[in-house]
Amino acid sequence: MTEEGENNRYDLHSRRRQFLGIDKDQALKGLFGGNAIVSIVVLALITFFLFKEGAAFFGQYRENIDLYRRSGIEYVDIMKEQSESYSELNRYLNSIRSEHATMLREEGLSFADARAKLSGYEDFIYAIEDLGYPVSEYVLEMSEVAVGARDMYEDAANYREHRENLLELGRDEEAAEVEVLDVDLSLFVDMIKEGEADFLALNDALEAGLRERIADLPTIGVESLDAKMQRFGELALMFIVEMERTEQLLSDWTSEKRVGMFTALASFVFGEDWVTNSSIQDWYGIMPLFTGSLLVASIAMVFAVPLGVGAAIYVNQFANQKEQTLIKPYIEFISAIPSVVIGFFGIAVFGQFVREVSGWAILSGFDFFPISERLTAFTAGCLLALMAIPTIFTLAEDAINNVPKSFKEASLAMGATRLQTTLRIIVPTSLSGIISAILLGFGRVIGETMVVLLCAGNRIEIPDFTNGIGTFFEPVHTMTGIIAQELGEVVNGSIHYRALFMVGMVLFVISLFINYMAQKIVLKYQVSRG
Amino acid sequence: MSLLTHNLTAKTSQQTTQSMASKPSGPSRPLIRVSDFDFFYGEKQALFDINMEMRENEVTAFIGPSGCGKSTLLRCINRMNDLVEVARIGRGKIEVNDADIYDPRVDTIELRKRVGMVFQKSNPFPKSIYENVIYGLRIQGINKKSVLDETVERCLKGAALWEEVRDRLDTSGMSLSGGQQQRLCIARALAVEPDILLMDEPCSALDPVATAKVEELIHSLKDHYTIVIVTHNMQQAARVSDKTAFFYLGKLIEMGKTDEIFMSPKNEQTEAYISGRFG
Repeated sequence: MTEEGENNRYDLHSRRRQFLGIDKDQALKGLFGGNAIVSIVVLALITFFLFKEGAAFFGQYRENIDLYRRSGIEYVDIMKEQSESYSELNRYLNSIRSEHATMLREEGLSFADARAKLSGYEDFIYAIEDLGYPVSEYVLEMSEVAVGARDMYEDAANYREHRENLLELGRDEEAAEVEVLDVDLSLFVDMIKEGEADFLALNDALEAGLRERIADLPTIGVESLDAKMQRFGELALMFIVEMERTEQLLSDWTSEKRVGMFTALASFVFGEDWVTNSSIQDWYGIMPLFTGSLLVASIAMVFAVPLGVGAAIYVNQFANQKEQTLIKPYIEFISAIPSVVIGFFGIAVFGQFVREVSGWAILSGFDFFPISERLTAFTAGCLLALMAIPTIFTLAEDAINNVPKSFKEASLAMGATRLQTTLRIIVPTSLSGIISAILLGFGRVIGETMVVLLCAGNRIEIPDFTNGIGTFFEPVHTMTGIIAQELGEVVNGSIHYRALFMVGMVLFVISLFINYMAQKIVLKYQVSRG
Repeated sequence: MSLLTHNLTAKTSQQTTQSMASKPSGPSRPLIRVSDFDFFYGEKQALFDINMEMRENEVTAFIGPSGCGKSTLLRCINRMNDLVEVARIGRGKIEVNDADIYDPRVDTIELRKRVGMVFQKSNPFPKSIYENVIYGLRIQGINKKSVLDETVERCLKGAALWEEVRDRLDTSGMSLSGGQQQRLCIARALAVEPDILLMDEPCSALDPVATAKVEELIHSLKDHYTIVIVTHNMQQAARVSDKTAFFYLGKLIEMGKTDEIFMSPKNEQTEAYISGRFG
């Protein structure tokens, strides 16, 4: 070997080809690192954006509720609530009549005969109805005043803003042409408050009339209906008590007290109404959506947990090679079905099927069957279960698979059956993994949008939990559904727009919490494999 | 099944009386008999025409290079190979106490209660020491506290672990050291009162001190149990066993008294292996 060759051999400087001072390894490292950074940045941007858009909500909402108070709509709503109670009372009375009418028809009476029987107490019903008119008309009148005032005030505010914008742009002439009314809301409120004496007088008349009428309740001659009529008397007395409470509330009411931030927050978190695009007052209470989401997700989990975990246990512990290669990809394939297709299936096939099944004679023992709605929390829940199963199955199967084989061998070598081994060793050992699989399945379900939007029925109302299992068959609306449904139509930056962002934030926080818990559980109870 | 149970039950009572009395002198009777045994994993034949006997209250060591089939044969004796889907028997049979254990009527559950096993890697369950020992009783539905307590003490004493853990029976079995874990596994295997203990390289993951303790334990267990041990460690085979069987490429090459195998092996391959020329 020459001397030169010898020297080259011990030239230990890097010989890798470089481009801009970077060699291939470094470039690749930079590429992968960059990918990781991009994902983190995107997540951070989403979080930031959500917070930014959502955060302004409470301020706007507080102002909105404050205006509701200052314009006196709140005052009118107190009265309105009383009128609504009265309508309720009338509906109860009418239901007695319609029940009677059905009864008579079933007895085979002719129309004229039936009418004759009903007319015996129809006068009473009409009289009760008439008693309510003066009050409700008065309330309607006041409502128009208050809402009119509020609208004028808002218009004025808009014009003022418009003018200021023009001034800012230097278009002074145009600005001078914009007429801005000074709307003093207190004048209107005073006007409404002055009418309080009138309202009280009307209320007194209503009370006197009602007392007089119920002192002499008509008898129908059918035992069950007469009992209901007696019940009506009791309800009427309760209404009278409510009237007194309304009067008290009205006299306590003042437009002076400002609405605090806490009220806005409580109205969002605990609010039972989600009313948008109302001509009177919008409400953004997340409760109906939250309970709806929770109800649907719970129904989904009731089905998905036993099926997913059971399938995972079977595939990992009992199935032979052939079954495994068949079942595993098949279940995992479910997650490849687009959710809109599942939703479509729900509307077209499953909802109809559930309703038909609910009409079967053997199920007539349940008083909530047959159901009239096709799209209910149950329909959506069942389909969501289908979507949660692959998640739960795959993760639970992984967890079970992570149980050291030696545990299984040891147990079997002790003379345990496969079932004993599974129940006493495999499942307890992998329980943390199974629980986190369930949690992540829950996270998947609560964040799912398309299926609930299509199949949950979209009725914005807190489910009536007094119905027991029947609750499951009520239509509900969900947090994800409302965002998908309404975000396309809202004005950018409006209070409604921000309310939807807040709903999104709540969802985000829930998902974050679930994922965090899932990770924590896995770490905390992980079996050391040492 | 009834046949086997009968045989095994008869055997159990016989051995209990035997172990109560002093150890009988003279050659004991064969408890495990393997005859003309061929065994396959799928198409691949793992064992060729094995014929051997393992006698009562003796320690038999299986030695041989990796992949020679010694662990496979061990796992055939309590049918742990049933867990391997492609495993099948070609020919021949294995008898435990004169009962063919591959008879279709045999319940592996019953068999494994009588033929216990200790594995290469200590594998206590992620449960307390107490629960680990009584696992075998729990799965038989025995939940009487006095029986369980008595078993835990007896088995831990039997496995020479009692003094070390008596104050912390509630702590996890996995918190013990490697050697302690392995002795816990032996205690666990003893709890179901087997007649035979199969040990698959029980000391391969242990340090020399722990190994010495386990070997000592094997010595003392010999009085009550028939032990079959697979080992890579020739000194260990020489120290603990009465008989040694040398396997090579799935065949039983030579079997005899341990002293004879190590001092004057008859077969060339045995001699080469023992003297360390291959393996």
